[in-house]
Amino acid sequence: MLFEELKDIARQPDGTPVAAEDLLRLPVFKDISPQFLKKNANATVWRHFRRGDVVCREGEFGSTAFYILEGKASVELATPIAHVKARGRPSGLLARLTSKLTSHLAARGEDRREEEADRRSIPIDAPVDLSYDHPVAELGPGELFGEMTCMNYYPRSATVRAETDCTMLEMLRNVLDVLQKSKAFRAQLDETYRRRALDSHLRDVPIFRGLTQDFIDHLRGRVELLRFAPGQAICKQGDPADSFYLVRLGFVKISEGYPGGELVLAYLSRGDYFGEIGLLGGGARTATCSALDHVEVVRISAEDFRAMVEKYPGVRSGLERIAREREEANRERLRMVRSVPLESFLAQGLMEAQSLLVLDLEKCTRCDACVTACADSHDGVTRLVREGLRFENFLVATSCRQCRDPLCMVGCPVGAIRRRNSLEVIIEDWCIGCGLCSKNCPYGNINMHSFTAQAEDHEHPGHKKAVVQKKATTCDLCTEHAEPSCVYACPHDAAHRVEPRDFFAGTLGQRVGRTGKAAQ
Amino acid sequence: MRIDRTHKGWLIVSLAIFGVSLLLYGLYRVPAAKGSMGGTAMGLWFGSVGFSFMIFAGLLGARKRVPVYRFGRAQTWMRGHLWLGLLSMPLILFHSGFRYGHGLTALLMTLLIAVVASGVFGAMLQHYMPRVITREVSMETIYDEIAHVRAQLLEEAEELIKQAVDGEKAAAGAAEGDVAVVTVPVSDQAAPLRNFYEQEMRPFLEKPGRRGSALGDAAQARSAFSQLRTLVPAPLHTTIEDLEGICEEERQITLQSQLHMWLHGWLLVHIPLSLALILLGAVHAVMALRF
Repeated sequence: MLFEELKDIARQPDGTPVAAEDLLRLPVFKDISPQFLKKNANATVWRHFRRGDVVCREGEFGSTAFYILEGKASVELATPIAHVKARGRPSGLLARLTSKLTSHLAARGEDRREEEADRRSIPIDAPVDLSYDHPVAELGPGELFGEMTCMNYYPRSATVRAETDCTMLEMLRNVLDVLQKSKAFRAQLDETYRRRALDSHLRDVPIFRGLTQDFIDHLRGRVELLRFAPGQAICKQGDPADSFYLVRLGFVKISEGYPGGELVLAYLSRGDYFGEIGLLGGGARTATCSALDHVEVVRISAEDFRAMVEKYPGVRSGLERIAREREEANRERLRMVRSVPLESFLAQGLMEAQSLLVLDLEKCTRCDACVTACADSHDGVTRLVREGLRFENFLVATSCRQCRDPLCMVGCPVGAIRRRNSLEVIIEDWCIGCGLCSKNCPYGNINMHSFTAQAEDHEHPGHKKAVVQKKATTCDLCTEHAEPSCVYACPHDAAHRVEPRDFFAGTLGQRVGRTGKAAQ
Repeated sequence: MRIDRTHKGWLIVSLAIFGVSLLLYGLYRVPAAKGSMGGTAMGLWFGSVGFSFMIFAGLLGARKRVPVYRFGRAQTWMRGHLWLGLLSMPLILFHSGFRYGHGLTALLMTLLIAVVASGVFGAMLQHYMPRVITREVSMETIYDEIAHVRAQLLEEAEELIKQAVDGEKAAAGAAEGDVAVVTVPVSDQAAPLRNFYEQEMRPFLEKPGRRGSALGDAAQARSAFSQLRTLVPAPLHTTIEDLEGICEEERQITLQSQLHMWLHGWLLVHIPLSLALILLGAVHAVMALRF
């Protein structure tokens, strides 16, 4: 056991509150006020798990964190690491006549999507991240998991199961909050993060991917871990850029200010990064980065980094290329927004989409044949809502509204939902199906699709069992068919799939400009 | 569905079929000793073609039940329904020799006229009404969501009134310590608003189709709210504006419901009549051929 002296009290029944004096015997609690612990006597309880017991399941909502005192636990993603894809056209006349699009799960190797993340690790709410290829890891004594769930009430990001008999402390937010302010606890958390997760986070940054272990080890000792309260600015648009940040915990809002308002570019979560340009030194921040909730970041200062960049010229050239692309995209975006109002600019973001589904409201009889066809095409789950942005008499029922503030991204426990450069949403393979993005989207553009998948049967080792998994999905415009099902099924010639530039420039006579390869 | 120049192909083909049929009818009718009859070869030909056009038109309902089956685009089926359905009428008239008949044949002729007339009426509605809805209902919502949206509007209005009244009570409470003499208690200043809501607005939101409500008419509602503004202090005018917006949205929803009923209600007549026509037409065909 982590703390031998606690063996005598650790036999208390599962769910029993831990007495204050017992907690104070743990080194991580030594800085905590005894009065606080006494006042919050029921906020920490003993938890005992037998080998094979499930401690928590991915996607479930919770409000507690767990600290392991004894034993080992496995942390894994039970969900298939794949995204929803409609199956292609069947062959043969009869099969084609009766063709229904069925949806299936396709992994990165089978179906590569534009601007899909190529990260190798999946961020979860634990001191370790999971490998994309084999999303299983082990937690041991002295490790804490469930911080994000406890502090911000987000869904559980992974399934934790006892590999051996385990003893843990389960605590509420008030206790964790105080612990996080304790030097002893912070030191232990920081040490665990540096040892177990920082490596994979750094290697998920494309420019660091080819670096040697020496460099990573050098950075490991030099980085600074910082905390920010909800709403606090980490860096502001226009400030001198002097640091690079990795997100360890929480959500960081990245927004740009324009005449007409603010545009939220992204919500970054664990494992994401920002401020690469700052590593080169000089220049100004092009966006404001602020903590949406309780955030912890890893900061790498430009001074610390510059010395190593001299040793690895490849890193510098990679950074310079990214900086050039980013600055060009920002200049283009600013030029566009200066020439058109922000709302029109956002609408023009639609032009970067591959194609649009448009309904001519002067022909549409509101019969909902399109919605019915969409549902019939996708195993009963419609991806089309007959609502959307309107341009004259046309309704653009796009898969994504490319909102100014993408609420869908807030709270994803595994950071599986993010923006493409066209501002359209993409859902990564490691979506655990918790449904939070679907609930958060005000327009119903994200739907949960159920699949039957094979999973390990832990009650019968070596066997598998069928389980129902959910994945979030948006409209893919039925790219497998010449026409989307909704267009095919419209009796009134009201639904059309159009090429965005032809539609906006040709049909509506609107000025078209490139939003520039922020996309590239 | 708008009947526009994209229907030209169908129009031309339909006119061609009609022209050929008319020519054939003319050629066949003139020399016929007893006049044209349904039982002659030509009469049977007209009847068969006319009936098959009706069956194709009737299959549109079945086609819509399997929207993703690739049996031809729904738009093609709809246009076929419209034009071939229309063509079936002259063909059946040629088949009958323009005789109304009696018994079953009279019934069939009546049904045919009713179906074609209701179909033409429906086509006109589908041609014009979408434009009317798009123009007149700026706050259009999905029809199936109307009940839910109405409930939300009522909830929003209740919340606005509660906040307005509670706000005034708080102000009244703060003013209690004042020594100055006040002619009208502060807490009563929201009373006209509250009374208006309870007597006029809430009944309107709960039963929007109710006759006699001033809020059901935009001009009358504007006048009512203007009058209300004169009765309450300026800080409550924002609440009045919000309530006015809610009433406007409710009127839009009511209008959308009415227009939707017009756009789709005619099908309640057209579809049963069509089914009856096809069924009885089949009976007529069997009886006529067998007996």
